[in-house]
Amino acid sequence: MLQRLYVHNFRCLENFELNLAGMPSALLIGKNGTGKSTIAAALQVLQSIARGTNRMRDLAAPEPLLSPKDFARGRADVPIRFEVEVLLDQALYKYVLALELPRGFHELRVLEEQLSVDDRPIFLRQQAQVTFYDIPQAKEVKFLVDWHLAALPIVQEQSVGALHLFKTWLSQMVILSPIPALMKGVSSGETLEPKRDGSNFAQWFLGVLSRYPASYTRIEKYLKDLMPDLLDFLNKPIGADAKNLQVRFAQNQALLQVEFDDLSDGEKCFFLAALVLAANYAYGPLFCFWDEPDSYLSLSEVGLFAMALRKAFEERGQILVTSHNPEIIRKFSDENTFILNRKTHLEPTQIRSLSELRPSGDLIQALTLGDLWE
Amino acid sequence: MIDRYRPHVLVLPEDDANRQMANGFVLHPGVNSRTIQILDTAGGWASVVEYVKKDGNINHLRKFEQCRVVLLLDYDNQFPGRFDSICEKIPGDLRDRVYVLGVLSEPEELKSDLKKPFEKIGNALASECCRDVQEVWQHPLLRHNHGELVRLIQDVKPFLFGNQ
Repeated sequence: MLQRLYVHNFRCLENFELNLAGMPSALLIGKNGTGKSTIAAALQVLQSIARGTNRMRDLAAPEPLLSPKDFARGRADVPIRFEVEVLLDQALYKYVLALELPRGFHELRVLEEQLSVDDRPIFLRQQAQVTFYDIPQAKEVKFLVDWHLAALPIVQEQSVGALHLFKTWLSQMVILSPIPALMKGVSSGETLEPKRDGSNFAQWFLGVLSRYPASYTRIEKYLKDLMPDLLDFLNKPIGADAKNLQVRFAQNQALLQVEFDDLSDGEKCFFLAALVLAANYAYGPLFCFWDEPDSYLSLSEVGLFAMALRKAFEERGQILVTSHNPEIIRKFSDENTFILNRKTHLEPTQIRSLSELRPSGDLIQALTLGDLWE
Repeated sequence: MIDRYRPHVLVLPEDDANRQMANGFVLHPGVNSRTIQILDTAGGWASVVEYVKKDGNINHLRKFEQCRVVLLLDYDNQFPGRFDSICEKIPGDLRDRVYVLGVLSEPEELKSDLKKPFEKIGNALASECCRDVQEVWQHPLLRHNHGELVRLIQDVKPFLFGNQ
């Protein structure tokens, strides 16, 4: 479970701290441009590194996650800093990554990097110099790493241990801002690493079902609650390596087979949610960040959808969502709702818990009038 | 969407505090969340009364016979007067499907007394409903609900606290 995220000098986030300790689910709200999606970007930088994209210039394109232009207000003389504290198997993991852009450089380089468990270092790094602490063998190993590379995905333990556990957790974070039009039913290959826009949904679907076949029941149960006429879904081979996801509906004696691509945007989001819940159950606990899960849903579904997500993550894992939708906002409470605020584009994002700002009247009205923080 | 033709519960919270308690109740793993829906806050106990008087709401309840309504309000230390006053306004043919529950004074006092956020209180109340016990429900600010609670549990237990 993510306990704390700290970000400094990255876009609009300066000395920014999000504390989620003890919260299986939480909500971020705030006006446009206050930094909700930037939090997702910060998490995605760490996720991408754990997934193996550790060269700094590779984080700048094709998806612009991190580049020299991301220093807050162009202030390149102050490092960009990311810190996460995560509770896994009752141990507190802390990963720190600080990046700098010395004069004359065009690519970010690592100034500092470290991973510790319960305050015991696994590795420490200053620029190119890495010190790895082999705890079972009680020895230190020193080596050099290219200063444009994050060391996290390179460092390897002799046996599967704390480092592997943390890397796996970080790489399996589910960060979503789905674009249903990009979610296609055709897949070639499988994965457990969904993309933020949901464009590799079918590969993820296949990856979960092939490695955890019992997930089918969980996915089916969730979907049948939402679409009672759902019969089943199947992955039809189309050629040597590709498959195409199809969904079958039945009522009375009638049967309808629909290509996944032809489902509505909202229905695709139901499938995505079903997969998130199944994945969390199968190989979690997962951390999920879902940017505006209400975007494609009908008003009658939004609240139930939010509650179903919250409820599933009560049991294990953790979900952080953003929203402007009153129906979603009402499904959270003062203690797990955070409000982001930014006075002007020249000032950094501030964050406060709703319990500190509780308006005397109606919350939604206060948000509508924009006077919650005033 | 909740299936209106199957047994279900609509919860009308008077205010934000009651809404948060209702959220905590629905979040309990023993509660079947596809059979319960929390409506927008009414905005005061007088508005809760208005809800049961409105033709549209009455017609909805008459049309959907599987619908139950729980009115969640603050008694502001006016129990049983306020309870009786609300019950009087519920049409007789619907009275057995409308339930009135509330904190004797206001939820903030319960929160401060139990030293728990509203969600956790709601969750604890749901847990007791699932386990057929009454501890938090016996709190001095809640125990006056006993009659309505027994009636409600008897009615909704088969589907609300049923399988997930």
